[in-house]
Amino acid sequence: MANLKELRGRIKSVASIAQITRAMEMVASMKLRKVQAKAQAFHPYTEEIRHMIERLAGKVSKEGELPLFRAREVHTVGILVVSSDRGLCGSYNSNLLFSLKKIAEELQQGGKQVKFWCYGRKSYAWLQRRGFHVERFFVEPALDKADFGAAKMIAQALVEAFSTGLVDDVRLYYTRFQSMIRFVPKQEPFLPISSIAVGEPDDDRFELDFLLEPDANTVFNRLMPRYLETVVYDAMVQALASEHASRRMAMKSATDAAVRMNKGLKKVYNRARQENITKELLDIVGGASAVS
Amino acid sequence: MAADLHLRIVTPDRTIVDRKVAAVSFQGVDGGYGILPHHAPLMTAIAQTGSAEITEVDGRKHELFVSDGFAQMQHNVLTLVCEAGEFAHEIDLNRVKAAEQKAREKMAGLDKLSEEFLRAEAQLRKALAREMLARRNSGTGSLG
Repeated sequence: MANLKELRGRIKSVASIAQITRAMEMVASMKLRKVQAKAQAFHPYTEEIRHMIERLAGKVSKEGELPLFRAREVHTVGILVVSSDRGLCGSYNSNLLFSLKKIAEELQQGGKQVKFWCYGRKSYAWLQRRGFHVERFFVEPALDKADFGAAKMIAQALVEAFSTGLVDDVRLYYTRFQSMIRFVPKQEPFLPISSIAVGEPDDDRFELDFLLEPDANTVFNRLMPRYLETVVYDAMVQALASEHASRRMAMKSATDAAVRMNKGLKKVYNRARQENITKELLDIVGGASAVS
Repeated sequence: MAADLHLRIVTPDRTIVDRKVAAVSFQGVDGGYGILPHHAPLMTAIAQTGSAEITEVDGRKHELFVSDGFAQMQHNVLTLVCEAGEFAHEIDLNRVKAAEQKAREKMAGLDKLSEEFLRAEAQLRKALAREMLARRNSGTGSLG
């Protein structure tokens, strides 16, 4: 049966696909673990910065120069999109980008301009193809290797765009990592800063009187960029963790499917082989009895 | 029991120090600070390129490089939150040299008033501060 050879070829190729996807799954889960470690090491820093801001917020006078807090009429919205550089990670990118498209279209219908900052090749290619205006595409360093320095650079670029009036509202759009099997696209306001209540009275948690040098507004204005950097970095790490988790899942189901397919093919192959042997045996027996 | 001070130094990459020490000194934006146990609550910004000196409980001293951060003192815990922090003995002189070289090259081709120039200058200052610290401490023993 010519079928046998064909079947053997298919079995072999399915097996090697399973091998590759299994390897990719393992790489993804290792990278995921690394990203999680990174996120954990980063956590205390964010906590401290946040804590200091809370402690300071009550001391800052509103009359001071806090341009990053000032909301103005929104004509142009800037969105930082964090996606992956590579595919083969399940529905990670398409989930993100489809809901992004919806948001962008809604904004445009509201008469606003939308400008994009992209991190990750997939989002850039996707937005370009659909004729959206991409203000800047961050290539270096690759998201996989991105460190705090990269977040710093991006935060600076966004702050600059906001303070020069290029955009009036900056948002982050990325995939938030909720668990190993759940990641949801999320939109987060970035500038103007609204999440911190300035001028609110102090919490009782802190020692109320403390020395502040040189003065509250100076320290606060130096603290703000740091805070924004942590927000960007957090988004990047979340997106990266989601990407790896998504890829891990996609590769796992691909491996499972390949293994299942291989099993089925082997069954068919063995049956065909058995049939062949039986047929040959019958031929031999038939031939022998004809001779004798 | 001798009074001691809890010191934490936190950077984006890791928490460098989290233990009891006897005293800490560092440079703030407007001058030097020396913090002893039970210092009054304080919050200040650290100089862009500075060093901090830790006096351990056993009296030994360690120097480290810190940059671009903040210090806060609360409930006898001193927290230095900075973007970079390295013990003097961890500083890689070759890398520092390369950074210095790069910054100098960048500065050569730039307008002295541009923002880029200032940024490169800050880089250079950081490299030089690291270098100075590493040289001053070369030859000292390892940390406990």
